[in-house]
Amino acid sequence: MKIGIISFAHGHAYSYANAIQNQEGLELAGVFDEDVTRGKAAAEKYQTTFFDNYQDLLGTAIEAVIITSENVKHREHVTAAAEAKKSILCEKPIATTIEDAEKIISSCRDNDVFLQIAFPVRYSTPVKRAKELIDNEELGRILAVKGTNRGTNPGGWFIDKDLSGGGAVMDHTVHVVDLLRWFMDAEVTDVYAEYDNLISEQTIDDCGILTMNFENDVFATLDCSWSRNDAYPTWGDVTLEIIGTEGTLTVNAFDQKVDVYSDKDGVSWEFWGDDMDEGLIVDFTEAVKSGRQPAITGEDGLRALEVALSAYRSGEKKQSVTNR
Amino acid sequence: MVRVLLLGAGTMGSVHAEAYHSLPGVELAGIVDIREEAADKLAEATGAASFHSLETAMDELNDIDAIDVCLPTYLHKEYAMKAAEKVENVICEKPLARSTEEAREMIDHCKKRGVKLFVGHVVRFFQEYNRIKEIVKAGKIGKPAVVRTTRGGAFPKAWQNWYGDFEKSGGLILDLLLHDFDYLRATFGEVERVFAKKIKRKDADQLIIDYALVTLRFKSGLLAHLEGTWAHQGFSSGIEVAGTEGIINYDSAKITPLKHTPRVKEAGAGGVEVPESPLVSNPYRDELKHFISCIKNGSDPIVSAEDGLHAIEIATAAQLSCESGKPVMLNTTADIS
Repeated sequence: MKIGIISFAHGHAYSYANAIQNQEGLELAGVFDEDVTRGKAAAEKYQTTFFDNYQDLLGTAIEAVIITSENVKHREHVTAAAEAKKSILCEKPIATTIEDAEKIISSCRDNDVFLQIAFPVRYSTPVKRAKELIDNEELGRILAVKGTNRGTNPGGWFIDKDLSGGGAVMDHTVHVVDLLRWFMDAEVTDVYAEYDNLISEQTIDDCGILTMNFENDVFATLDCSWSRNDAYPTWGDVTLEIIGTEGTLTVNAFDQKVDVYSDKDGVSWEFWGDDMDEGLIVDFTEAVKSGRQPAITGEDGLRALEVALSAYRSGEKKQSVTNR
Repeated sequence: MVRVLLLGAGTMGSVHAEAYHSLPGVELAGIVDIREEAADKLAEATGAASFHSLETAMDELNDIDAIDVCLPTYLHKEYAMKAAEKVENVICEKPLARSTEEAREMIDHCKKRGVKLFVGHVVRFFQEYNRIKEIVKAGKIGKPAVVRTTRGGAFPKAWQNWYGDFEKSGGLILDLLLHDFDYLRATFGEVERVFAKKIKRKDADQLIIDYALVTLRFKSGLLAHLEGTWAHQGFSSGIEVAGTEGIINYDSAKITPLKHTPRVKEAGAGGVEVPESPLVSNPYRDELKHFISCIKNGSDPIVSAEDGLHAIEIATAAQLSCESGKPVMLNTTADIS
């Protein structure tokens, strides 16, 4: 299967490209990037063709395209790819506004093309096992969840609101919201958020705590802060503490690690677990090949985005707000 | 010699009795409990006299310097006020009272009589928490931004299951999270806004568990997230402080200074692991040692009764937020000890 990548703005583009190279039967057939230097370097790294115009890339015989551009550009790139009848994997968040997200979904529907949103954490093996335990009712009825998705301030366009749509809340709300919707098959009804610009010098929300109510009466909190500093042994985390009527479940998606104490590089945690990005690429391409429905739909992307936007509304009003 | 009368021979009463028994310059003169067997047993172990009412104890004992109230929360006010009429120093286990109104009444009552009122916020005497406070104050992690705490374990077992009666104990937010409210306030200043959620009373009662998640916004801007649990097994507590230039992390569940695992002699029988974090003096002993020294020297304790009241204020706001689903603003300008 020939695959294209539109933009290396999001760092995940590199791990998706690596995953494509690691899979037999997948070929990274071409890349486009507005940043010509970055795009050419990526093309060279992955031994593929660089296009200085995404329409030219979409005009080739690629079957699928991965969109890893800046958040605000997803709409332009997805709609173009949909019109070119390519199967699409779009990086999270799906977009930065409800309107853009709905346009992305409708253009894929109208053109009858496959659209999947990239929530790689669903492909973490410990997370998949957690889903299995929950589905087997090992926890009984879920009552509450404490979640974290913390990270290092990514800098660059991520901290430029015009390109990212927001800071830590936009970047790190959607993963855990997606997991909880997936685990519980329930939507978020209310959101309360405290967020601020307390860590970095640039003016962008870089820390936040969300509290969500779900329609199944579960409440959950999420720490979405870019609070991991340079000296911290890793980039960040995804953790869930799930309280059920029959027990508790602790999930730490990146805890399969060894501790390294290097005179050269300091202290670091080196992850040895399964590669979730590769799991995502394999599932995406298999679904496209076999004609099955995407595991993670545009609607899933929209629902997660909705919660991030509700969090911003809550922060502005300093009140709990209705999500839907 | 400071002569102490202890009220309550339950879990905390036993810890305090052992501490007094081991401290120099203190005489544990008597232990009072309406459960005669419990009072007798603890009195025998600590060389104190056993009583089954405060009145009998005060009739029979002379020159008591301090009364220590280790009773269930809903009895704190009644007995601390009675104690203040009989002695010059009253030590009261946390929470100081079931409500801010009760706490205010106790403080005013003691003040009017010139009685010193101490409140047992023991986390102020935990070395790990003090070390963290020192590191923060030294500026090693820059300006603190996001703090996360966790505390809890299994649902506490006690006389007549009074913890399970919300009216008597105030539930997990007042009883357990109060520790972190007080510590965070002492370390990071006043709280401005509180938002909280806890599991439904019906589920909590039926399952004999409880669980709450609280978000605090401080006047400094700092964000804090607190987990209080009586839904887990095995006590643990933890705190992480993330600042502009670093992170401090502590998790009691991840440290193992000592763990004794007896050899399993019969096939199939599991050995019970007993973890310990041994110290020359435990935090409860350090707390009471400090209070006793304040009594002797007439100095002020590092944690005041007013601090005890303000911690209840935050707990009350959190409880109110759980009920209303809305954030609750705090308006306090008090100094922090």
